Amino acid sequence: MAELVRFMERPGRSPGQKVGAVHPMALAAMQQTGEMVPQKNERGSQRFLQGGLSAPITVTWEITAACNIACVHCLSSSGRRRPRELKTEQALALVDELADMQVFQIHFGGGEPFIYPGIWQVLERCTIRGLVMCISTNGTLITAERARRLKQFDPLYFQVSLDGGTPQTNDSIRGKGVFNRALRGLEFLAAENHSLTVNSVLTRFSFHELDQLYEIATSFNARLRVTRLRPSGRGQDVWADLHPTKEQYSEFTNWLMAHPDVLTADSFFHLNAFGTKLAGLDMCGAATATCCICPEGEVYPCAFFQAPEFEAGNLHVHSFREIWQNSTLFDFYRKMGGGACSGCGQYNVCHGGCPATKWFVHQKLSIKDPECVLQRG
Amino acid sequence: MSYPSTRYQLITEVKIRRESFGGILYKYGCADRGSLSFINSPQLIELLITGQQRHNGDVSAAIESSRYSETSKQKLYIALDDLVKRGYIHIQ
Repeated sequence: MAELVRFMERPGRSPGQKVGAVHPMALAAMQQTGEMVPQKNERGSQRFLQGGLSAPITVTWEITAACNIACVHCLSSSGRRRPRELKTEQALALVDELADMQVFQIHFGGGEPFIYPGIWQVLERCTIRGLVMCISTNGTLITAERARRLKQFDPLYFQVSLDGGTPQTNDSIRGKGVFNRALRGLEFLAAENHSLTVNSVLTRFSFHELDQLYEIATSFNARLRVTRLRPSGRGQDVWADLHPTKEQYSEFTNWLMAHPDVLTADSFFHLNAFGTKLAGLDMCGAATATCCICPEGEVYPCAFFQAPEFEAGNLHVHSFREIWQNSTLFDFYRKMGGGACSGCGQYNVCHGGCPATKWFVHQKLSIKDPECVLQRG
Repeated sequence: MSYPSTRYQLITEVKIRRESFGGILYKYGCADRGSLSFINSPQLIELLITGQQRHNGDVSAAIESSRYSETSKQKLYIALDDLVKRGYIHIQ
């Protein structure tokens, strides 16, 4: 009964019933990738992921679209709160469901999670239910008092975003004055000994400041985490200008090898095609190891793939378990083939790269990753 | 080589989940990401869950309270040694 009150629009359903029809464009794009490519490396983790897990390992939960800054590359085009965002009671029910499914970790993003009215109750519920929490924040709303108050939640990790090692580079992407405000947030969190990472999206311009970013992270006793720029959300508008060059990616691969303590969230597996295996998964975990829950209850294969055509279901209509286990879109997504990469000798180490990047750049999934390092030009 | 006198203790930060192929071990505590292992042995996963839920993480006690053949025990000890190397278990 309580569940019905929380999600009034959910219809009664039979167990195992398929969730949602697939958008024709998404269906055509997935079918064009062909059959799944048999794995030569039978020892890899991909064989377990491709079979479909009972639940995600990590869920990215963009809990609100509201944000107090406006990054030019925001993958979810955040800014204003959206009308159908989950209410706190619905969010708490979702935490319970994720815990019941034994999801290991929730990665809170947004928008800015600290603008969500129920964030403190949600974190409290996660702590009670034993879920590992990671909050991706712009850092500007962290105060000394908040940093202290956050100590009650455990285990809790923070990612504070900096997209450059200097105010000039960072603020050209994240907004005027944000660099210094984020550093202040980092200071408050570090003063309370929170577990921190400095999260940085690699761009053509921040590439030259990797060493500075590394030093900044180290100064807060934090680890640096570098992630790949995706052409989703507002990122579509700036991707062509900001995405790193092939030469930069090559140098970056060497830089990562020289800095093994730098995290990458496994987002640079497409660089494995250079011939140097980077740490982490060597394939995309979208819809297999992870997925993304958006503010209004939309569920997508991953945080970078927030395309309406690829919505697997909506929490206002279906439970998360129903969507994860019975979504028609996820079914197709998990069986995608290698497309144009099928015959490539490096397929086993990069698995064709990032589907979201392919989709947002060319509206296709059967092509090579637009940043494939083996392509000319 | 392991010996029955060795005590295998799951570290507190390890979470375990059953899957159709066996299960997953997830260890948090490393900055923002944990380490993850796919275990394709249902027997090993059940042993670890028993150790965690009924013996406060003492996997050796879980082995002692079960009726494994000597051959199975030796295989499990080898697997546990591997989990020690991967940081999921420590030896007391």
